[in-house]
Amino acid sequence: MRPVYLHGSAVSSTWRDASRSLTDLIFDCVSSALRQAGVTAADLGAVVLAAHDLVDGRGLTSMVTAPAAATYLKDETRLGDDGALAFVLGDARVRSGSVGTCLVAAWGRASEGPVDEIAHALFDPFTARPLALTEIAVSGLRAARCLGDYPGYGRWRDEAAARRGPRPADPARTPATAWPLRGGELPVWADLVAAAVLSSSPGQVRVAGVGMSTEPYDLGDRDLTGLPALRAASAQALTAAGVDAAEVDVLELDGLTLFDEALAAEAVGAAARGEGMTILASGDRVNPDGGYAAGYCAPAMGLVRIARAASRLRDGQGRDGQGRDGRVALATGSSVVAAQVQAAVVLERTHATQDADGRQTTQDMQDAEGA
Amino acid sequence: MTGPAELAIIGVGQTPSRRRHEGSTPELVHAAVGEALRHSGLGMADIDLVIGGFAPDALAGENCPDKRFLPAAGAVGKWSMRVNTGGTTGIAAAYAAMDLLEAGHGDAAVVVGVERMAQARSVPAVFNSIFDPIYERDTGLSTVSMAALRASRMMQRWGYTAELWARVAERNFKHATSNPLAQIRTAYTAAEVLTSRMLAWPIRQLDACPISEGVCAVVIARTAAAGSRPAAVVRGRATVTDTYNMGDRIGRREGDLVELLTLRLAAERALGQAGLGSAAGADVVEIHAPFDHAETMAYAPLRFCAAAEGPALVATGFGQRDGGGPVLNPSGGPQAANPVGATALIRLAECALQVMGDAGQRQVPGAATAVATGQGGSTQFSTCTVLSRN
Amino acid sequence: MDEPAGGSVPPLTIDGHWAFDYQYFAGAAASRFFAGLAARRIMGSRCPQCARVLVPARAFCDACFVETTDWVQVSPHGTLETFTILTTSFPGLPEPPLVVGYVALEGASTAVLNFVDGIDLTDPDAAGARLLQRPRVTARFRDSCQGRITDFVFTLDEPA
Repeated sequence: MRPVYLHGSAVSSTWRDASRSLTDLIFDCVSSALRQAGVTAADLGAVVLAAHDLVDGRGLTSMVTAPAAATYLKDETRLGDDGALAFVLGDARVRSGSVGTCLVAAWGRASEGPVDEIAHALFDPFTARPLALTEIAVSGLRAARCLGDYPGYGRWRDEAAARRGPRPADPARTPATAWPLRGGELPVWADLVAAAVLSSSPGQVRVAGVGMSTEPYDLGDRDLTGLPALRAASAQALTAAGVDAAEVDVLELDGLTLFDEALAAEAVGAAARGEGMTILASGDRVNPDGGYAAGYCAPAMGLVRIARAASRLRDGQGRDGQGRDGRVALATGSSVVAAQVQAAVVLERTHATQDADGRQTTQDMQDAEGA
Repeated sequence: MTGPAELAIIGVGQTPSRRRHEGSTPELVHAAVGEALRHSGLGMADIDLVIGGFAPDALAGENCPDKRFLPAAGAVGKWSMRVNTGGTTGIAAAYAAMDLLEAGHGDAAVVVGVERMAQARSVPAVFNSIFDPIYERDTGLSTVSMAALRASRMMQRWGYTAELWARVAERNFKHATSNPLAQIRTAYTAAEVLTSRMLAWPIRQLDACPISEGVCAVVIARTAAAGSRPAAVVRGRATVTDTYNMGDRIGRREGDLVELLTLRLAAERALGQAGLGSAAGADVVEIHAPFDHAETMAYAPLRFCAAAEGPALVATGFGQRDGGGPVLNPSGGPQAANPVGATALIRLAECALQVMGDAGQRQVPGAATAVATGQGGSTQFSTCTVLSRN
Repeated sequence: MDEPAGGSVPPLTIDGHWAFDYQYFAGAAASRFFAGLAARRIMGSRCPQCARVLVPARAFCDACFVETTDWVQVSPHGTLETFTILTTSFPGLPEPPLVVGYVALEGASTAVLNFVDGIDLTDPDAAGARLLQRPRVTARFRDSCQGRITDFVFTLDEPA
């Protein structure tokens, strides 16, 4: 197997930019990631995309949008699933040696379509849709259980939400709520594109481990606060990377609402059971960009989180969101129907130094596993 | 294919293709996957990955139906994801499973392709929604009319006629009578094709695929897992994506619209990996073509002949059983059944059954090598896969 | 009281309705292209790398993956490269039969899709045979433009 490095990444978060079509947004973000990675479209051996037809309002969206993601005459595939899953697939292409350089891109432009109605259509037409469920409603169910079971959630929720900064005034950007969720705990809809370039040639950020798992579809079959799929996915990724949860400096955790992020922190071992909200209130280790409140649209979010994590490692950010030389990052992504599939990715910062001739050399901070 | 592991299809399960199935999707999936596992000799505990393929959600009227049906394929507690690449969805799902296995993420995968388009009452409107909303949707294009634009160009360029294409359809319908899973099992003649209802000139009803529902499942594993059981080893595979705009391909230097550049490139790679100079060297070729004219558009990319010689090749009765060359679509092909989310996987599955010797009444005796193609988008996504017996 | 498994219950179906409304952002390039149509001009954009003139104009060339630069007006005259005759009826669109096709306009490197009129469609096969000859067509602009591709239509130079 080959080692996999994340060479460049970009995230674009806008709202109703009428000067750009969806394909313009994708083109711009992908171009930015390619530039940062120092590669051109011609250098790509494969492209893996994540996009959803109903979000894009295009019946087979990759037909019309893939060209904007540098796929011309390329080996390209598209998941109708979260961007973190596409990242895992792209990583696999490079890891197996099948391609040298792979682009992964994901997007969702919330301002073009009816987000709540689309979410409603995710649910079982016979047993759940008549009950007006959306994914926010499921987050409400989770939040209610947390408030009932864990005193820390009620105690710390306001402070945790306050750390997420001011929300945009446009009411269209905040979904209808489901009790007990309050305004500041809800996602801010945005037009998102994320892109990352993976390659087996050495770079500053290495993909040290990946993991994934799946929960049942029916909500009644799930452990709504235990997030077992995320628990399993992050454990796999950490094991593959040979690191402990305690060694993770940078956390980028996907969650639709504040409560989902808090539960995610527990599931990945960054907080004890019942202490997830406490962690979010006490610092900027998790999602310092604002997470759910910095812009949300499925199915881009897992790749947004991974790109943010890579960026934080490159900038030398550490545990407190400041420049404290973070070495290990854990990023997660969740699929629809209320986080049924979860993926986790562990990234490690390598020592990239320049030799006397100004060329970059790279030295892993810890032995790569069997590379 | 440069991965370190050698992979094979070791099990196949399919529901029949029907205009409309009665059961729920999870029930159909569970049945097909169960059959594939039994065929493979593996149990659900041996499976690490479950990859689902489902094309337009609007056809089922369910947003992300995969999340509801993948648990019925054993996904809970395992890695799973949903692939959506239009017509090539089924094969792209299989390729994703192969990519993950080649990277060492497990030893065996279940891949399931699903179609439930009978749940839609307004299919043409759904198929109009795939076109660019800014520059093209207002012309009322749909999949049939988009295909017809290519058919008329082939007539103009290479002298194809409706009569020639009707003979291709006749051959597919004849082959389908040996396939209990096919939806259309009537041996329509070329004359009947030529008098069927016009859909979009020059395509008539019997030149085109039916609206189908169905599920196809395969088990993919490391070849060693098959032991002494027959398996269909993946000898070559490739996928290539073209630009969306058909207008950009008209008169294009690298390859005109109807030269099907991406299939030419994918076939070059896959056949090259397998050490085949042409798909004519295979015993069976399952061509993913929802229209008879589209099947002939694949002939030159598959190196059966030069593009201009296609009409003459059709006139020889190329592709018939006992014809001396490769048998084309012994399953009957998409003209006899085309469940969109599954069809490209069915082509692979049918090829696997052939080289494993498990194709029943439609078995081509002694079939050892088979080629399956996939087609999707505006003839934009093309795949080519070569299988041979272990 | 246990019920035996199986037994015959009529299979249930439930009606559903999807009506998602979208509002697509055309972006600066398409907006400028449609403004051009209102001024009776068909505009293409040029790729600085491969030099193709892309019609309708786009913000970028996907083959070279670079932004387009110059905008050029192309001729309203061209050749019908391929076509079909539609029979499906869509709400809001003219009643079939309709001819739709790709036209290579003089000055453009790519062909553009639109309706084609001026053809007698009473005998579709005869019409088809005529249209297979790659006839010359001219773009005719509608009196009132709405910022849609259908603001112009192609007409055969020699009616068929």
